Amino acid sequence: MNTLTIIWIAIPFFIGFNIYLLPQFDRYLALGVCIISGVYALQIFNYSSPINLNLLDNFGVILVADRLSSFFILTNSIVTAAVIFYCWNLEKTAFFYTQLIILHGSVNAVFVCADFISLYVALEVIGIAAFLLIAYPRSDRSIWVALRYLFVSNTAMLFYLVGAILVYQTHHSFGFAGLKGSPPEAIALIFLGLLTKGGIFISGLWLPLTHSEAETPVSAMLSGVVVKAGVFPLVRCALMIEELDPIIRLFGMGTALLGVGYAIFEKDSKRMLAFHTVSQLGFILAAPKVGGFYALTHGLVKSALFLISGVLPSRNLKELKDQPINTPIWIALVVASLSISGFPLLSGFGAKVLTMKNILSWQEIGMNLAAFGTAISFAKFFFLPHDSQTGKAKVQSGFWAAMALLLGGLVVANVFYTQAYTVTNSIKPLATIFLGWVAYFLIFQRSIIKLPRVIEQFEHLIGGMSLMLILLFWMVFS
Amino acid sequence: MLESFIFATILIGFFGIIFKQNLVMKIVSMDVMSTGVISYYVLLASKNGLFTPIIGNKDNISYADPVPQSVILTAIVIGLSIQSLMLVGAMKLAKNNPTLETREIEKNNTP
Repeated sequence: MNTLTIIWIAIPFFIGFNIYLLPQFDRYLALGVCIISGVYALQIFNYSSPINLNLLDNFGVILVADRLSSFFILTNSIVTAAVIFYCWNLEKTAFFYTQLIILHGSVNAVFVCADFISLYVALEVIGIAAFLLIAYPRSDRSIWVALRYLFVSNTAMLFYLVGAILVYQTHHSFGFAGLKGSPPEAIALIFLGLLTKGGIFISGLWLPLTHSEAETPVSAMLSGVVVKAGVFPLVRCALMIEELDPIIRLFGMGTALLGVGYAIFEKDSKRMLAFHTVSQLGFILAAPKVGGFYALTHGLVKSALFLISGVLPSRNLKELKDQPINTPIWIALVVASLSISGFPLLSGFGAKVLTMKNILSWQEIGMNLAAFGTAISFAKFFFLPHDSQTGKAKVQSGFWAAMALLLGGLVVANVFYTQAYTVTNSIKPLATIFLGWVAYFLIFQRSIIKLPRVIEQFEHLIGGMSLMLILLFWMVFS
Repeated sequence: MLESFIFATILIGFFGIIFKQNLVMKIVSMDVMSTGVISYYVLLASKNGLFTPIIGNKDNISYADPVPQSVILTAIVIGLSIQSLMLVGAMKLAKNNPTLETREIEKNNTP
C-alpha cells in the first residue's frame, strides 16, 4: 500500500506532462488518471488503519492517508472526471488537459501530506495551475482575475512559510503534530495562509470574483475541489490538536453565516454560487470530525451547479425569470439545489444531519441560520420558468454525462450515512426548506439591496490579511 | 538585531504590495517580501554555526542546520516561477493599460 500511495501521487504529474506530448489521446489519458484516483480513494476507505509514510526521517516528507483523505480524494476524482466529460466535445487543447491533470495531482497531494513543507509545495503548484487555467482565455479580464488570485494566494503563502519555520524551530520537524506547543505566532501565521487559500471568512473574499469570472469548467473545478485544499489541512489540524478545535469551529460558523448573508442578496447566478462555496466551506469546518462527507457532497453539488449555470441562457437571475429554460436542465438544477438545501434522498441531507449532530451547543443557532439562508438563496433557482422546447440544441451529450456522474454520485453517496433516515431527522430539513421558500416569497424576492463590493477590491484583500493576522494572534493567545 | 531587520524587510514588502499603485511595483514588493522570508530561513539555519554541512577532515565544528536551507530552496524556485508568471500577466495587461495603474485595471475589469 505504501508504494501504491507514492505511485499514485506521482502518476498525475507524469501523465499530465505526457498529455502534452500525445495530444490526440488527451481526454482518455486525463480520464484514466481520474479513474486511478477514484479507485485508490475507495481502497483507502476500506483500509482499516491509516497509512503513515515517513520518508527520509522526521525532517522529510510525512504522508498520512486515512478515511478523511479518502473522502476528499474521491471528491477530487469525481469532479475532475465530470469536468473532463463536460469538455469532451468542446475542442479544448491539450494544454488545458495538462493543466487540469496537474491541478488534480497537486490537490491529491494536499489531501495526503501531513507536513507543512510538502503542503506548501502542493498549495503553490495549485496556485500556478489554477492561474494558468483561469487565464486560459487570455482576455484582459481573465488575466487580471488570475493575477489577483495568484497575488493574494502567494502573499498568504509567504506568511505561512514564516509560520512553518517557527514550527520547525520548536520541534525540529515540519509535521502537523508540531503545531501543538509551537509559539502562538506560528499558529497564527500558518492559519492565515490556510484560511486565505481555503477562502474562509473575511480573508476568503477573493473567492467570489475569481470563481465567478473563470470559465464554466474551471470554476466547477475551483469551487468543487481546489478550495478544499486549503480547508483540508485545517480539518486535519483540528482533529490532531484539541486546543485548535474551537478556533476552527468558530471560523466555520463565521464563514457559513458570512457567505450565506452575501448569497441571499446576490442577483448574479455564478456569484451567488461562489458565495455559497464560502458558506459551505464553513459547514465543513464547523464539524471537523465529519467534514470529509460534507466536502464530498458539496464538491459534487457545487460543480454540478456551476456546470449547469454555464448552459443557462443568462447569468443574471432577473433575466432568467423572463427566459424559460429547457426542462431537463431545470430538473438537474432543482435536484442539485435540493441536495444543497438538505432534502432527503440526496446525500446533502445526510451530510447536513451529520454536521448538525456534531456541532457544539454554541454553534447551533448560527449553523441553523446558515442552513435556513441556504434554503432561501436556492429558492431563486426552484421557481425559474421552464419549458421543454427552448434551447435544446445548445447542450451537448458531454454535459449530460457529467450531470449523470455528479447527480448519480449524490444519490449513491447516501450509503455512507444511512442512519440519517429517521422521521425526526427528516422533519427539520423539510421545515427549513419550506420556511426558506416562504421567506423568499414574502421578503427576499422583492429585495433590491445590493451589497457593496468595496471589501473585495484587491488592496482591501491584502490589507484584510493584516487585520486577520491580528485577530488570529488574539484568538490563539487567549 | 538581524531578526528585526528581516522582519522589517517582510513588512516593507507587505506594505509595498498595499500602497504601491503600479502593478509592476506591486510584484517587485512581493519579491522583497519573499526575500525577507528566505533570509529568515537562512538566519535560523545559521543559529548553531556557519559551516557548510559537508563531510571533511575537520571534526566538531559548528554546522549550520541544513534542513531549513534545503527547504527554502524549493520556495525560492516556486517564488521565481510565480514572479515570472505574474510579470508575463503584467506584460499582457500592459497592452491595453499602458500605465499599469492597478485601480484603473481593476475598474475596467470587474463586472
